[in-house]
Amino acid sequence: MKVLDIAWKDLIRSFRSLFFLFFGLAVPLLMSGLFYLAFGGISSDDEGFDLSVTEVQVVNLDEEGFGGQLLVGILQDESLADLLHVTAVDDAASARAAVDRQEAGVAVIIPSDFTAAVTDPQGQAAVEVYCDPTLTLGPGIVAGIVRQVVDGFAGSQIAVGVASERLGAAGVTVDATTEMGIAMRYAAWASGQHGENSLQVRAPASAPETSAAVRIIGPIMAAMMVMYVFYTAAASCLSLLEEQEKGTLPRLFTTPITRAEVLGGQFISAFVLLVFQIAVLLGVSAAVFGIQWGAPLPVALVTLGMIVCAIGLGILITALLKNTRQTGVIYGGVLTVAGMLGMIRVFTGNVAGASGHVFDVVSLFVPHGWAVRGWLALQQGAGVSEVLPTVAVMLTVGVAFFTFGVVRMTRRLA
Amino acid sequence: MREEGAICVQNLHKRFGDVLAVQGISFDVQRGEIFSLLGPNGAGKSTTISILSCLLTPTQGDALVMGHSVVREPRKVREEIGVVPQEIALYEDLSARENLDFWGRMYGLRGAALKQRVAEVLEIIGLTDRQKGRVGKFSGGMKRRLNIGIALLHRPQVIIMDEPTVGIDPQTRRNILDSVKELNRNGTTTLYTTHYMEEAQELSDHIAIMDHGKIIASGTHEELVRIVGEMDRLDLVLSGDVERVLGEWQGIAGVCQATAADGKLTLLVDDSNLVLPRLFESANRLGVRITSVEIQEPNLEAVFLHLTGRALRD
Repeated sequence: MKVLDIAWKDLIRSFRSLFFLFFGLAVPLLMSGLFYLAFGGISSDDEGFDLSVTEVQVVNLDEEGFGGQLLVGILQDESLADLLHVTAVDDAASARAAVDRQEAGVAVIIPSDFTAAVTDPQGQAAVEVYCDPTLTLGPGIVAGIVRQVVDGFAGSQIAVGVASERLGAAGVTVDATTEMGIAMRYAAWASGQHGENSLQVRAPASAPETSAAVRIIGPIMAAMMVMYVFYTAAASCLSLLEEQEKGTLPRLFTTPITRAEVLGGQFISAFVLLVFQIAVLLGVSAAVFGIQWGAPLPVALVTLGMIVCAIGLGILITALLKNTRQTGVIYGGVLTVAGMLGMIRVFTGNVAGASGHVFDVVSLFVPHGWAVRGWLALQQGAGVSEVLPTVAVMLTVGVAFFTFGVVRMTRRLA
Repeated sequence: MREEGAICVQNLHKRFGDVLAVQGISFDVQRGEIFSLLGPNGAGKSTTISILSCLLTPTQGDALVMGHSVVREPRKVREEIGVVPQEIALYEDLSARENLDFWGRMYGLRGAALKQRVAEVLEIIGLTDRQKGRVGKFSGGMKRRLNIGIALLHRPQVIIMDEPTVGIDPQTRRNILDSVKELNRNGTTTLYTTHYMEEAQELSDHIAIMDHGKIIASGTHEELVRIVGEMDRLDLVLSGDVERVLGEWQGIAGVCQATAADGKLTLLVDDSNLVLPRLFESANRLGVRITSVEIQEPNLEAVFLHLTGRALRD
């Protein structure tokens, strides 16, 4: 009973604390709200926010060849109509001038020998992408498409080269028509390989349909929640130090109570406080921002893992500190840096390749990173089996921190 | 070790690293009496209190509180005692009632008994009208009263008070001293530490004087005063080189002890009527002016001076 009495006392004190009300509840919601507004969460419709359509002028000097026609056709495809408005023009100089006058964002100039170059194993040709340096997204999209097509043709060149060499070795003479045929067959095969039949990009079956703004704000809200839950846990545990300095902890030990009861009360109080904080943040963010956090059971598991991990870290930090004067270093240094490392994957989500992978790995060096990973998985519709490994890591780390911290605290209080 | 007293301390030692804070002290506190530990800061009073409150474990020796060993039965000792710490140890973000309610629960009170006792203690400490007020907004005196009230909640047999009047105004101090007397009238045993000689003198049935971790004298006020015999204490304020005068006066016939602090000289003398003219004559010769003279009957201050060669305030 005394354990619950201590927990209740601590809870009352926490709920009367402006620190908890402000940093525990208000700040994470406000921060996420600011990001939400920044990404057009209020003004836009279901799509959240819109990319402006990029004006593109295409000059196809390879009118006779299939290569130029193919590239123009891809750029003018209906599926890209929301992103690119492509106009065919005859003159490269006028297209560049249009870009200079900012009447167009990008000019794509296909050289006259484009098809010949891409079908000749030794051929070389460069498609020029002339773009407005003040734009980034539109030219990036166009350059990406052009690169994809040119890469495809590079495959054709290799195919023609290899076929010619083999046929030549067998005594068969390969003329230009045959080379063109090989190149076109390769192109058809490559198109089939990357077409709908062989590559299907799908979201998980249970993944909620969300707007673009929510897709952006969801991970940010998760990161903010993780960061401030760890702050709250540390603050809750650090109240032991405060009680020691103010004399209430030594006074407690003059009453018939054990150290285990005091630490147990502290744990229960922190646990209930964090459950409340997470419930409020999940509920409000779902209501205000429309974030869908996933099914109750996986959410409960990730919540449990994060709380145990956060309290474990809080107890460990408390056990390592000498006095409350050092808490500034903890909040400003350790928890903030760990929090930022943990959420790094949220803000580097668009970094592709090795760099993106490095950020993901780096974030897992801190407990915050595992918690962020759990919440991001939930937002993508992960089920119990998918979050269990992450939860297991959080529980293991949390229990390890907690055990070490309690042993040290018990020695200190003895 | 005898067990009939409320507190029996036997050969208690406490070492912190190289520092021996308590050096083999022994004393008995009888049931229902007020026992004061008197001594300057750093004498070892608070360490002794901490051991008796089961906050510290003695390096050597033991103490029985109401028959229970602080080493072997700390939980039972804690059930018997109420501790008033030197610092105010309250939750400032809780109300007076919430504080009493919480601490009452820590002492094992529940339900109607707790509610009734909280109301009684609020009445005793005169905070019934302010029971719902946040402690953080209380005056220093109100906090002190509440600090004491918490120790009374479970009607302990023994109350241990560690310098409860440090840094408070005279009115609150008076209030606290009256509370201690009232508790004593109700049969509560009180162990009281102070470095104010007047408090020990006014309150105590027995006094132990501590210095450097040892009890250097113990007994009733009268017994202690008898140590210095019929000597008078003179407090003199001088204008001039006090240290030079001190050296000169230590050799004057009739002066048993002399100390200087804060420009003031304190002397223990056989007969002030005989010694004072010699002091004035010496002062004239040294070119020093005596601006104030106070003659006091023998008291605990004089006892401490006699035993240690230092004033209690040092």
